[in-house]
Amino acid sequence: MSLALATLLYEWRRYMAAVMALALSGLLVLAMTGVFIGIGKGFTAQIERSSADIIIMQPGAKTLFGGPSGVPRRFIPQVYNHPAVDEVQPFDMAGGTFQSVRDVDPTMSQAERAKMGAPKQNFVMTQIIDTNEGAVTIPTDYSEELVDALRQPYTVAIDETTLPKLGVKLGDKALYNGQTVTVAAVLSGYPSMMQPAIVMSRDTLRRVGQADTGPRVGPLMVKLADGSQPEIVSAQINAMGKGQWKAWTRDELAQANANAMFEEGILVIIIGGCVVLGVIIGVAITWQTLRGAIMANIKEFASLRALGVSMGSLRRIVLELSFWVGCVGVVAAITLTWLIGLLASANAVIIALPPILLIIVGGGLIAIAMLSGLLSLGILRKSQPADLLR
Amino acid sequence: MNAHTKVHGAHGDFAVEAKGLVKRFKSGRGFVEVLKGVDFDARHGDLTMVMGPSGSGKSTLIAALSGLLRPEKGQVDALDVDNLWKLSPGRIDKFRLDHCGFIFQGFNLFPALTALQQVETVLKYQGLSKDRARKRATLALEEVGLGPRLHQKPSSLSGGEKQRVAIARALAKDPKILFADEPTSALDGENGQVVIRLLRRAASDHGAAVICVTHDPRLEAWADRVIHIEDGVIVSDERRVPDPNAVLASHH
Repeated sequence: MSLALATLLYEWRRYMAAVMALALSGLLVLAMTGVFIGIGKGFTAQIERSSADIIIMQPGAKTLFGGPSGVPRRFIPQVYNHPAVDEVQPFDMAGGTFQSVRDVDPTMSQAERAKMGAPKQNFVMTQIIDTNEGAVTIPTDYSEELVDALRQPYTVAIDETTLPKLGVKLGDKALYNGQTVTVAAVLSGYPSMMQPAIVMSRDTLRRVGQADTGPRVGPLMVKLADGSQPEIVSAQINAMGKGQWKAWTRDELAQANANAMFEEGILVIIIGGCVVLGVIIGVAITWQTLRGAIMANIKEFASLRALGVSMGSLRRIVLELSFWVGCVGVVAAITLTWLIGLLASANAVIIALPPILLIIVGGGLIAIAMLSGLLSLGILRKSQPADLLR
Repeated sequence: MNAHTKVHGAHGDFAVEAKGLVKRFKSGRGFVEVLKGVDFDARHGDLTMVMGPSGSGKSTLIAALSGLLRPEKGQVDALDVDNLWKLSPGRIDKFRLDHCGFIFQGFNLFPALTALQQVETVLKYQGLSKDRARKRATLALEEVGLGPRLHQKPSSLSGGEKQRVAIARALAKDPKILFADEPTSALDGENGQVVIRLLRRAASDHGAAVICVTHDPRLEAWADRVIHIEDGVIVSDERRVPDPNAVLASHH
């Protein structure tokens, strides 16, 4: 075991401040980014968690929402031409006003209802599932009971975190675009930010008059008979389409959706701010901790100098030490973030931690530790062996 | 090649020779001259004792001899090097790494390392392979009587044992010149005796030039040569016959 690693393990308390500073810097960035990715995933969960292996959109589409995602209805039979395709359904989305119904007469005027404390209308985003068994549009984590409930006409399902905002609970009646619907099921793990979302069956959407019935439909969700190699089938479907459409595997689309989040200016500013803060805190505390730790062993370093070990070798020891501190910091940061993630998911907030984010932040933390090590090299000049002679 | 000092000298050949060493320290507005033109030499196989009251310049002398503190004037020839202070700092480090051992009053052992690792670390910087470093370190520790305590960290070693680890660390390099600065002053009589005997053996058996700075007159019994220094000037330099079986009375 090297001197640096042995020192870190033996005097771990001394290095705890640096490790914690790195862990908290990492946590700041990981948790913020993770929450935003989680929010983004909330918008696209309905598709990303469906049993669709492939999603077909317009050739110019870059993400699920960020471009021309709908396609002509005639594409549906064309996609069925591929022998591996089992089911094709267009995804359908709509929006409308949603208003809870309490002990108030819905024919009262808005002003009277407001006086009675009735909530205002909310604009909601509506997403659909098909209710036939095993339909491609049903998210894989939906229970059979949930699908059964939505099979009843004029029923909706709402995530548990959205219920308070809409002012309803399970079994309540509400007005959707002026028509009465029943909250027949509660979802969990589908939080929606900014705009609340509700889920209903395609049938109910048709009954409220919002289903796509014309020549254009939403993105096509494609289930394969054997979903083990979606990349190959997706490439073949793309070849079949001759450029009319673009087929994505579900993973590709999820990745593109997550990346699209970083094109949002305000999110980049917030995360950038967190990164700057994290770097400043991390470098400052790690640097001072390393300085203190080196100072504590300065006589030992000086005795090595006396025995002829060069300054360059001592610098390498310090840099190695910084590297190991960084590594421990990365582990601590990921562990902390994971724990916070558990806590968050217990409260229905998603913190998404894609591996690429962990790698980037982990690398950043090690860079911070190495930078702090470089800054604390100056203190080694105090390792004057002549000072040991009295 | 140096005419006087040699790397592989027989007993009695010069290992270090210094002429006209002057060292000043800044003190307030003026300067204090700590070494006032000191001439000094030390021979292979000799335990040379440098004695004097505190502030007499004895530590500064060995700092200048070993390439740790540049003197204002004077020349140090050490082993095959003509004028040590003409070398670059890197070359001086290399010279110390190859040829010099150091023992300090404080033991300066890394708290995280076992006795064996303390010694190995320095040997690895000398370019020894892991296996050879381990063998040499084990031998050196056995020689100072720490065979059973190879894997102890400093926190579980007594003061005397720590100093013996420090000595093993210095001796494992097989140094041609061994500098010791008050090596026994932090130890009780019994441990002090063990340490001075090890230094004696480094000179007699390994042929090293051992230069030991101390203000403890009882150590004189083991010395081949005793040099007294006062106010930066050597006031006496006498050879004597060492008594390897001398007894250092306990402080208690």
